[in-house]
Amino acid sequence: MLTLLEQIDKGTLWHSPGGVHPPQLKSLSNQTASARIAPAKQYRIPLPQVGDCARLSVNVGDKVAQGQQLTEGEGFMYLPVHSPISGIVSNISLQHSNHASGLPVLTCIIESDGLNSQVDYQVSTLGELTNQQILDKTKQAGIAGLGGATFPSHIKLNPASEIDLVIINGVECEPYITSDDVLMRENAFEIFKGIQVINQLLSPQRIVVAIEDNKPEASSAMQQCLTQFDDLQSTVKITVIPTKYPSGGEKQLIQIITGREVPTGSIPAQQGIVVHNVGTAYAIQDAVLHGKPLIERLVTLTGEQVKQPGNYWLPIGTSVEHALEQVGFTAMDNQKVIIGGPMMGYALPEYNVPVLKGTNCILAPSANEIAPDVDEKACIRCGECAVACPALLLPQQLFWHAKAEEYDKAASFNLKDCIECGCCSFVCPSDIPLVEYYRIAKSALKNEAEEKQQAEQAKIRFEARLKRLEDEKLAREEKSRLAAEKRKASANSASNKSTVAEAMARVAAKKKAAEQEGHSKTAEAPSETGASNGKSAAVKAAIERAKAKKLANKSSETSDSTAAEENPQPVNDKKAQIAAAVARAKAKKLAANQSTDNSASVEENTAPVDDKKAQIAAAVARAKAKKLAKQNADAGIYSTTDSETVDSSTTEAAAEVSSNAEPVDDKKAKIAVAVARAKAKKLAKQNADDGIDSTTYTETVNSESVDSSTTDTAAIVSSTLEPVDDKKAKIAAAVARAKAKKLAKQNADADIDSTTDSETVDSESVDSSTTDTAALVSNTAEPVDDKKARIAAAVAKAKAKKLANQQKLSEKE
Amino acid sequence: MAFKIASSPHVSTSLQTNKVMQRVALCLIPGILAQVYFFGMGTLVQILIAVITCLSAEAAIMKLRNKSIKNALSDNSALVTAVLIAVAIPPLTPWWMTVIGCFFAIVIVKHLYGGLGNNIFNPAMAAYVLLLVSFPLQMTNWVAPSELAANQVSITAAFAHIFELSTAGLDHFRIAVDGHTMATPLDTFKTDLSMGMTSSESLQRNVFDGMTGVGWFWVNLAYLAGGLIMLKLKVIRWHISVGILMAIFVCSGIGFLLNPDTHASPMLHLFSGGTMLCAFFIATDPVTAATSTRGRLLFGAIIGVLIFVIRTYGGYPDAVAFAVLLANMCAPFIDYYIRPRSYGHRAGN
Amino acid sequence: MSSIAIAVVVLTLLALIFGLILGYASIKFKVEGNPIIDQVEALLPQTQCGQCGYPGCRPYAEAIANGDNINKCPPGGTATMEKLAGLMGVDPEPLNEVAQENVKKVAYIREDECIGCTKCIQACPVDAILGAGKLMHTVITKDCTGCDLCVEPCPVDCIDMIPVEQNLKNWDWKLASIPVTLIEPVPEKSTVTISVKQIDIAVKEDSQC
Repeated sequence: MLTLLEQIDKGTLWHSPGGVHPPQLKSLSNQTASARIAPAKQYRIPLPQVGDCARLSVNVGDKVAQGQQLTEGEGFMYLPVHSPISGIVSNISLQHSNHASGLPVLTCIIESDGLNSQVDYQVSTLGELTNQQILDKTKQAGIAGLGGATFPSHIKLNPASEIDLVIINGVECEPYITSDDVLMRENAFEIFKGIQVINQLLSPQRIVVAIEDNKPEASSAMQQCLTQFDDLQSTVKITVIPTKYPSGGEKQLIQIITGREVPTGSIPAQQGIVVHNVGTAYAIQDAVLHGKPLIERLVTLTGEQVKQPGNYWLPIGTSVEHALEQVGFTAMDNQKVIIGGPMMGYALPEYNVPVLKGTNCILAPSANEIAPDVDEKACIRCGECAVACPALLLPQQLFWHAKAEEYDKAASFNLKDCIECGCCSFVCPSDIPLVEYYRIAKSALKNEAEEKQQAEQAKIRFEARLKRLEDEKLAREEKSRLAAEKRKASANSASNKSTVAEAMARVAAKKKAAEQEGHSKTAEAPSETGASNGKSAAVKAAIERAKAKKLANKSSETSDSTAAEENPQPVNDKKAQIAAAVARAKAKKLAANQSTDNSASVEENTAPVDDKKAQIAAAVARAKAKKLAKQNADAGIYSTTDSETVDSSTTEAAAEVSSNAEPVDDKKAKIAVAVARAKAKKLAKQNADDGIDSTTYTETVNSESVDSSTTDTAAIVSSTLEPVDDKKAKIAAAVARAKAKKLAKQNADADIDSTTDSETVDSESVDSSTTDTAALVSNTAEPVDDKKARIAAAVAKAKAKKLANQQKLSEKE
Repeated sequence: MAFKIASSPHVSTSLQTNKVMQRVALCLIPGILAQVYFFGMGTLVQILIAVITCLSAEAAIMKLRNKSIKNALSDNSALVTAVLIAVAIPPLTPWWMTVIGCFFAIVIVKHLYGGLGNNIFNPAMAAYVLLLVSFPLQMTNWVAPSELAANQVSITAAFAHIFELSTAGLDHFRIAVDGHTMATPLDTFKTDLSMGMTSSESLQRNVFDGMTGVGWFWVNLAYLAGGLIMLKLKVIRWHISVGILMAIFVCSGIGFLLNPDTHASPMLHLFSGGTMLCAFFIATDPVTAATSTRGRLLFGAIIGVLIFVIRTYGGYPDAVAFAVLLANMCAPFIDYYIRPRSYGHRAGN
Repeated sequence: MSSIAIAVVVLTLLALIFGLILGYASIKFKVEGNPIIDQVEALLPQTQCGQCGYPGCRPYAEAIANGDNINKCPPGGTATMEKLAGLMGVDPEPLNEVAQENVKKVAYIREDECIGCTKCIQACPVDAILGAGKLMHTVITKDCTGCDLCVEPCPVDCIDMIPVEQNLKNWDWKLASIPVTLIEPVPEKSTVTISVKQIDIAVKEDSQC
């Protein structure tokens, strides 16, 4: 029994199952030497090429040199992308991708400036580099497998396990494609240089260069060149294998050379085998020895619709359109443009897409070269596909299940081992596009698995959240219990008052922290108040809070407001928070009391403060709005008038806030927005409730009046905001939107029991008011900026919506 | 600029279903010629009737199913079914029986199961069995081979008989030159054995030429030739045919060795009745057979064993149709349990 | 008489032996909990949306195990219902909600309109919303289950449910759905109807990881 290495040396080849013999048609493109085409004006570099985590590191307008790195990122699979040309980044936008789907992807468009300025390529020799340096250089050069799969090469060059055998794949079994063939003929020396690099990194026992027997020139060129490399003589062996598709598949090639199968789910490296394409070897050599990143590759442009078929060095990012134009491409009826070979390549829906690292062939076949489009016929279970399948699957069963969308059953027939080589479709007498079915099934399975994983994740998160809530609840209870105990204890020793205060402050601070997770601002506040009374503010705050709470528990209003008034004397930003706390407490209390009066007093109290005030107001307004909504929902039948008064007072309050806060800042705008929106919501709710049993008449009146008050608010806000900023526009937008929403709801409700008459009147009046508002806003916002456009858009949208509703209604009538 | 898109691969073989079916039909020609030579023109008339019936039934049912009639007729599968029915039934079967058989094959067996590719049973054999169990008398009335027959079946006689224009019974075509009526060799053999004769005694009858049935040997040989051409053209794979023939050979060989008096020789089994027709043209119908390589060997072996068992121990002289139908039933199970080991999987997965 | 006695004795002995075997088996093969609940839960989509009327997927799984209807899970759609029917051995029944178009959606907060009320954070069953009080919130898209629960509490209606976009990774290979119209080979006349939408969101997402 010979060992594997001995058998490899002897040249033993194994049989790989299945496979087909499609017409080769390689002589179309391998008769001429490789050439270059005229440079294009524009190059497109799609961002998500290899690896996910790529960030663009250039901006529109940047000047880039040839070979300059365009992306940065980290992550296992990340590979940098380089500029193929010197020029200017003219655009970064979504463009069609060079992918079977043609889906748009983020693409960086570089206009060539014709200067050909390059970044400095660092030339080095193999001896002076460490393995790690070589790997870094490969990675930085963005080298990916050029056979088509574009797997990052530095990962394959740095496997976790010991490598015994490296196979250099020069099989190129797809019909038409000759880029590897021509590369081996012309650049055998460079390929062997690359093999030297690979040899140094992996130090395998054997390196087998596999070439199909339909490329005698390539294999003899390689054989000749090998004699120049003394160090490789003993390890490298050039093996000619019989022509059969798909011998060039990684797994198939391994089986042919070694007789071993790569177990499903594992990679060849685990068997001590690594396969690299000859093109990759060339690119590695370029990157490591010449420092040149992967910015161009040899691409076969072929097919009968191309006048000068051959192999061309195309910069990555050249558009397919440009490349084809340069070689005299003419389109025919129902032209297909195929990226890759006819067996596995995909047809492009749109040819204004870039050449990528894995683009080895652009095929523009004429009608008599490719299969005509015929309808899929019934499967007669002839089993030819099973005979042709190199992965020994049962394509007819897979088809059966994939067609029925029983993807789990298809998976049980090892769908995932399908390499999509197309042999089954090739031999199918019924013209069934089997591979398409498998791809759909595979992607469905993949998405299903992802969803499953997501569901798993969601479940974990959900459970974690439940636990967190439970823990928080327990912690709160525990804390209140401890606090109560402490209070009891400290009540006995009244002499030590300052410690009590401190303790209370601490408790309060802690409580606050617990309450408002993430409010980092609170923590830094005390430090600002000075050394002498550093703690005092906090103490005060705590006291304030306690008081507020106590007050809230009692329901007397006057004492509350006075307390709130008196306390905030030392003016620092802490005060605002106190006020906020008070306001919140009050709001709560108010909600319980349903009294509306003292909101104004709160507002007045906190007059000379800073921007926090605005937020207070917002909080109040919001609280009120919600309360009102609740109230209305409860009161339902008789609360219409009541809520209206409440409503108007809210409006007033908001108006007051706006007028008081003279040093206007952009937060104010938000208040208005919030108020407006909250109102809108409230109104919607209100209307919904009203709709049940109020008469249409009162409803219209009601909503109209509210409507006008909203308009007023907006007007006031706008007029006060003299130093106009762009947020104002947003207010208007919000108002408009709120109105639109309200109207929609209103109309929907009114629809239930209103007459057509009142309806039209109603919506018309609202319409006019909307217009008014918009007008007001536009008037005040003098320093016009582009946000105004949005307002108009919003208004228009609102109107459109209203009209649509109106129309719907009238149609109903 | 927009382009046409399609899934890869963009090339395919030129061997399409309709061509496969066409080749099957053409490869039947040697067998048909032999049959016409030995058993008269009846077969040709039957083929005519069967083809017309099958194609019109197919067209009608496609119309009912709102599908393209042209597509269905152009795949030639109905044509093959028709010819198979026609060569399987006795040459002088009344026309209405052929029509019933063809109609049953196309409408019930094929299209009620979903059309081409979805039927479980071989349409031709199901039709044959239907006719056999419904009209056992007519279906076992085979004419005497021309070498022995007192009356040759001319084309006019065939028409007259098949369309029941002549009042004369079929029997005068079954009468051999020596005045005896003749059954098929397998039938004769079976009857003789049941009457207590030994096999060698039975083989002395004039329907045999010492080893196999007169005429039947050549008919089978012609079908074998057609089958080999199909193998050469890669219209069929060898597994099922070899499975059947090997199984028959082995079983009958064992039987013959154990007790030559009560068992027919392998020769007789292989070259009598519909053995070769079944092995190359009927059992190889891909729709109703197993699909994997090993599965097909097993499928063929099941048919072979069943043919032997039914011929030797069953009530019917020939067993091809029953064997095929029974094996058809097993095909899904065979496919389910015999799966090839996928690449990268260990055996059993 | 003795035959009766023998029969009684034999039967008693047999009963004893089998009883022992059964008893042993019940100890040896004891199943903790109700495995069917876990199986049901594994089938549910884990959106935790509560549309079934139970507070989460696990409670609904328990309810199904106890005989509740299997048609209360709109996010799972008909596919999930059928799987549940298969598992529970009951007949499939149509979803009682109006069958919604089964497009996976995720929540998206229009960030400049968010007022930072934290209401959506509290509503989110899977903690997929990030933010603090009075500060802008945002949705962690990859963790969002699309349950809809955050939309209602938002006081300013700044949360949209937007369908997950198709990209190169989750593309489903349905070539027929690529809207390509074929044309005569007249150059300069683009008839591709794939519109390149320049959505800022998409750009943002792509440029990040």
